[in-house]
Amino acid sequence: MPAPVLRVTDVHKSYGRHHVLRGVDLALAPGCLAGIVGENGAGKSTLLRILAGLLTPDRGSVTYPVGLGYCPQHTVLNPALTVDQHLRLFQISYDLPDLAQAHELLDILNFSDYRRHRVATLSGGTQQKLNLTLALMHDPPLLLLDEPYQGFDWETYERFWDLAAILRDRGRSVLVVSHLAFDIARFDRLWHLEAGQLSHRAGQPVIAGSGTTAAG
Amino acid sequence: MRSAWTRYRIATGYALVEHLRNRLALALVVFFIPIWITLVYLVITNAPVPFLLRASDQVITVDGNHISKISGAVNAVTLIVGFMMFIATYRSAHFDQRVAMAGYPRAHVLAAKLSSLLLAAALICAYAVAVICCYWVPDQPVMLWLSLFGAALAFGGLGVMLGVALRGELEGMFLIIMLSLIDMGLQNPVANPASGNGIVRFLPSYGAMQAGVTSGFLPTAPGLHLLLGPMWLLGSALVASATFRLRTRDRRHTRHTILPRPSARGSVQEDGESAGAGPEEAARRGGGGGSGQTRA
Repeated sequence: MPAPVLRVTDVHKSYGRHHVLRGVDLALAPGCLAGIVGENGAGKSTLLRILAGLLTPDRGSVTYPVGLGYCPQHTVLNPALTVDQHLRLFQISYDLPDLAQAHELLDILNFSDYRRHRVATLSGGTQQKLNLTLALMHDPPLLLLDEPYQGFDWETYERFWDLAAILRDRGRSVLVVSHLAFDIARFDRLWHLEAGQLSHRAGQPVIAGSGTTAAG
Repeated sequence: MRSAWTRYRIATGYALVEHLRNRLALALVVFFIPIWITLVYLVITNAPVPFLLRASDQVITVDGNHISKISGAVNAVTLIVGFMMFIATYRSAHFDQRVAMAGYPRAHVLAAKLSSLLLAAALICAYAVAVICCYWVPDQPVMLWLSLFGAALAFGGLGVMLGVALRGELEGMFLIIMLSLIDMGLQNPVANPASGNGIVRFLPSYGAMQAGVTSGFLPTAPGLHLLLGPMWLLGSALVASATFRLRTRDRRHTRHTILPRPSARGSVQEDGESAGAGPEEAARRGGGGGSGQTRA
């Protein structure tokens, strides 16, 4: 069995007296499309923020490789800049030789026509597409996606899952936080976050190689 | 690897784009400065007022209208530049954090913000001096521009610091307005006959006011007082830089372990990698509080 690209060991997090995470353990193998589901307020986003290095846990450890991609739940963009300007900034951030991968993502997510548009003028769904593109454009080995399809229309939502399956098939590990019950069939592995801990749940099998899922 | 110049140039260009798209700030620059100075010209008395000029260690008696134009210009540029820098920093705080954590060098991000501050402050202060010259030509207009520039830098730095440190937009706006009100309310000899009180030396635009009055009425150079504004900027930039670095950790270069607060008894797990370990094994080890973890 290959070594995990992400390992989470006994992670705890509290906000005051509110214990959000009470010993979370998780190991994610390469080429795995995994999900974490849970009720609103269960601590999914807190966990993902800890995994992304944005929050420090009270206890426990997280290990992951260089080249993490993180898509936050709420769009983190600069409303004054255009889509192209965002891509240019992150091209430099990731030190990419070109933007071929980013432009391919724009095509897949169907918003290439908005490259010269300022973010402030884009719809919520298109902003979310850019939010996701910035997390994927450097093709990292590990992706942490916090409900990355909010605001997507159905076609784009389906395209997102096709893309996630392609990335998985390329050996990338994708961890998606979701609260949508009908997403669970799309995952190779599924955890349920409840009472501050993760429990393993069996999802419906993914149709191998098709890029689509049983729940499609 | 891109050159440092390219990274700096791109970041600075985009920082300037942000300022240019702040239409409220641009409207304030275009209208607030001339309206404020014109109102001072029309309303404030010409009666002579004494002013303690520590820059040349003397009390000078000056035209109340002229010195109010200087304090009004200081007030206007500090408000506008402080507001511009606060808004630009505050609104892009999360985005800057994302960019930095993705690998953009923090030094370039901060340098870009400071460069945009310098350019914006220089242009706004030149505009303010030009408006003043419509009503009264000071002895040393260029020196007056430098004085206003120092005040703008001081408040621009405070704006960046507040933008990085504060969680609410309204708090920052109020703080900048209140600071500017206190600053000029205490230093203008028309509004405050006791403006020579030693406490005013600790105000952000004290140096600018001293240098500004010197350049308005005397042929001498204000000397060290011109440097007080940049010193305030330096102090604010250091606080902002430290806060920014605290909030953005570099995760790029090594296989990274996020660890909580260290304890005297805890040991640091350098790398949790071990082939074949699945979630069940991890849960088993974690649930038992296994070795290799840090306890808070």
